Amino acid sequence: MLLLPIPLGYAVVALTTVKVLSLSATGQRPLWLVGLVPLSIFVAGVARALFRRRPAWRASLALDEFHGFQDRVTTALAFSDIPEAERTPLMQAAIEDGVALSNRLDPGRAVPIRVPRESALVLLLGLGLFGLSRLEVRHYRQLPLPSAFEPMVMSADDIELFRDVAKELQAKNDDPNALVAVRRFNQLVEDIAEHRLDRHEVFQRMGDLERDLKDNLDLDQDARDEGLKGLARELEKSGLTKPAASALDEKRLSDAEKALRELAEKLKNKESKPNAAELEKLRKALEKAATSNEERLRNIEERRRDLEEEHKSLLKKKGEQPDAGASADPKLADNERRLEHLDREKSSAERSQKQMSELDKQLAQAAKDLMHDAGQSAQDLQQGAQDINRMAKQEASEEQKKELLRKLQEMRELMRQQGKGGKDQMQRLQKFGQRARGQRGSGEGQGDEPGGQNGGKKEGPLRLGNPGGPSVEIPMPQSARGESQAAAGDKPGGGTEPGAGQRAGTGHDPNLSGAATDLKGKSVDVTAAGADTGQGTASSQVIYGAAERGFVGHGYKQVFTDYQTVAEQTLSQDEIPSGYRFYVRRYFQLIRPRD
Amino acid sequence: MTDADQAREEVSEFQKRIGALREEIGRVIVGQRDVIDGVLSCVLGSSHALLEGVPGLGKTMLVRTLAGVLGLEFSRIQFTPDLMPADIIGTVVLDEGTTGARSLEFRRGPIFANIVLADEVNRATPKTQSALLEAMQEHRVTVGRTTHVIKEPYFVLATQNPLEMEGTYPLPEAQLDRFFFKLEVPFPTRDELHAIIDRTTTDKHVEVRCVLTREQILEMQALVRRVPVARHVQDYAIRVLQATHPTAEEAPDLVKRFVRTGASPRGAQAMLLGAKVRALFDGRFAASVEDVKATALAALRHRVLLSFEGEAEGVASDRVIADIIKKLPASKE
Repeated sequence: MLLLPIPLGYAVVALTTVKVLSLSATGQRPLWLVGLVPLSIFVAGVARALFRRRPAWRASLALDEFHGFQDRVTTALAFSDIPEAERTPLMQAAIEDGVALSNRLDPGRAVPIRVPRESALVLLLGLGLFGLSRLEVRHYRQLPLPSAFEPMVMSADDIELFRDVAKELQAKNDDPNALVAVRRFNQLVEDIAEHRLDRHEVFQRMGDLERDLKDNLDLDQDARDEGLKGLARELEKSGLTKPAASALDEKRLSDAEKALRELAEKLKNKESKPNAAELEKLRKALEKAATSNEERLRNIEERRRDLEEEHKSLLKKKGEQPDAGASADPKLADNERRLEHLDREKSSAERSQKQMSELDKQLAQAAKDLMHDAGQSAQDLQQGAQDINRMAKQEASEEQKKELLRKLQEMRELMRQQGKGGKDQMQRLQKFGQRARGQRGSGEGQGDEPGGQNGGKKEGPLRLGNPGGPSVEIPMPQSARGESQAAAGDKPGGGTEPGAGQRAGTGHDPNLSGAATDLKGKSVDVTAAGADTGQGTASSQVIYGAAERGFVGHGYKQVFTDYQTVAEQTLSQDEIPSGYRFYVRRYFQLIRPRD
Repeated sequence: MTDADQAREEVSEFQKRIGALREEIGRVIVGQRDVIDGVLSCVLGSSHALLEGVPGLGKTMLVRTLAGVLGLEFSRIQFTPDLMPADIIGTVVLDEGTTGARSLEFRRGPIFANIVLADEVNRATPKTQSALLEAMQEHRVTVGRTTHVIKEPYFVLATQNPLEMEGTYPLPEAQLDRFFFKLEVPFPTRDELHAIIDRTTTDKHVEVRCVLTREQILEMQALVRRVPVARHVQDYAIRVLQATHPTAEEAPDLVKRFVRTGASPRGAQAMLLGAKVRALFDGRFAASVEDVKATALAALRHRVLLSFEGEAEGVASDRVIADIIKKLPASKE
């Protein structure tokens, strides 16, 4: 009790400090550490009190003193410790005397438990501590202002682009899942247009949408295509099903459906009903087609079994003749590779069979019914056509979803590019946009003369890439003249009187000195081969016209599609850095035909 | 009857005898209970007492009365500066028998009584004092080649006057140590004085009667020796003794400042024997711390030697011992 006020007093001081200074957990740490000292003192004091040697007979002496027994109890206790044999008669008498006194003892009064003097102080400190712990010290602090909401900004042209995309996808689609996704995409575009979202939110929503789309995407499309091809191979064997077979082979599912329906009609109609030989051929084809997937799976399994046996024998051989192991190794490796391939093939065939099971069933039924009831068989074929229709719809929906995913990726890439390099990058993209649309820019590549009346439309080729780094030049339709002239000189162009001349300038900027820009990066020309139908205006004329009058017009749409298709094919086939891919796609976004 | 019962009876008998003794002494001596008890303690502790008090306080009367009630041979020696050892021990004289034959015969001096009153012991020369003190310690006297044993019980009661110090020979420390107790005879209270005057100024003459025989005294002395002392009581007596030394751990500041030399082990012996007697006085079977405390003053006051500073300050040894008793706890860790 004597020591208790020390830690309590310290706790009061420490708590007051914490409250007044509003110390953080880190700031409180030294106080905790220093607090160990008074606590240790208290603990040491308690330990000492517990374990210290107490005076002998302290309690009995206190009793004797209180009762005025002249140590008779203590003496009795002391003598009782002596072995009985060693006790004298007087000692025994003293013990008995002490025992006789024992029932007169009153320890409660003799040694009362006294309230320590420090109790009041301890109580006071305890109350103080409690009060302090309940006390709330308020500090008025200037909180940092919430960071200003910075909405994601997208140019009106891009907004329009993605709105068009959404509109187009919505019009094409009738799958509820895909429509929901399109609506969400549309809402996202609208929210960006209204500046309701910041960058973080935009990316979050795009990510959510993308994830949902991927979750709903049927990843077994390839397996289904494979199954349809197998089907086509068998159906091709009958003249009656040949149109359907070729449509299936080319993945024209609606045509395949149509062909099957026509065949069903033909079977129902007694006049146009095929002869028996044809019908037998059709039956066989249908029968084969119905089992084609099963057959394929069976073949795969047989091949796999053979390979497995071979593999086992190779392993056995290797085990028996370790020396022959070296020669067996390549074979083993090849065997394993082929097994893996077959496993994949088997898995695909299984998925394919699963997807085609309904159609297979209908075709098998049609083949069966054909033997005795052509009408019933026609009905089976109708149902098969329906199933193909279902697949066609599903495929269309998948395509739409994939398209939406592509657009989302484009949008994300655009935003990523915009936010990647800060203001400089924004400016570069802006400049890129202006130049892609043939507007006036302030870049290099101008002719000898300042821009004429057509302003920026007479600029040099479009250069893609960071300044000073490797770049790709895309020749612009109107840059032909300027480029040729610029190429003639060895210095970059720069008119002395901007905007006054009729042609590209031939002089150079007097403020510039030194040699002409010598790009280390090698320019690569991208050649777009438009589909020449031999009719109407040439592609170059169309592009020229679009550049003159804006990106509008039926001809330009056709040319744009042609060029874009080629560009997309190149992008998908060739290894092009992702940064360049963005610029190519961005270029086509910017020069897309407008309504 | 068990041994314990027998012991109880012995103690009871002791109490009765003491009661009778006190009563008989009380017929002559007025008051002075502590002094009487102190003297009795010395008698029963087989030792000697030094009584100090101004003249006329009944010191000699007390000793004379004690001798009377105890039925023992009593002699009184008035110490003077010219008192010679032979005067108290005795001397060899040429004796002529009835036949006319002459022989050397030792004539015992007053020291050979059972109770010797050495009145104003500090007036004799140290040589004479030494002769007395040797007999006190050894209970025998050697004269020439013959050693004469003094009959038991034997105790010397010496007195000294604290006022007239001129022409005195204060007892050396070594000799003082031989006295069991130093008892200070206080001045009587008014009531006691009334009683003294009433008794001494009338024609009434009180004759004390002997209440104890020599054998009984020896029995009582033996019983005193048999009284047990618990370890804590003995430990307390030793601690008190140690505390009289200025270098001791438990010595209070007063001791450290004013005491030159503390008490010898005889001090502890005296305290414990006195405690035993006191316990028996009370009918108890063992000595207590309280008994030790009660006897400490008488047992130690002549054994504690004050320093020059203490004497200069006028600090009494009684005050030093009282301080020790007050501050020393009964038990120690």
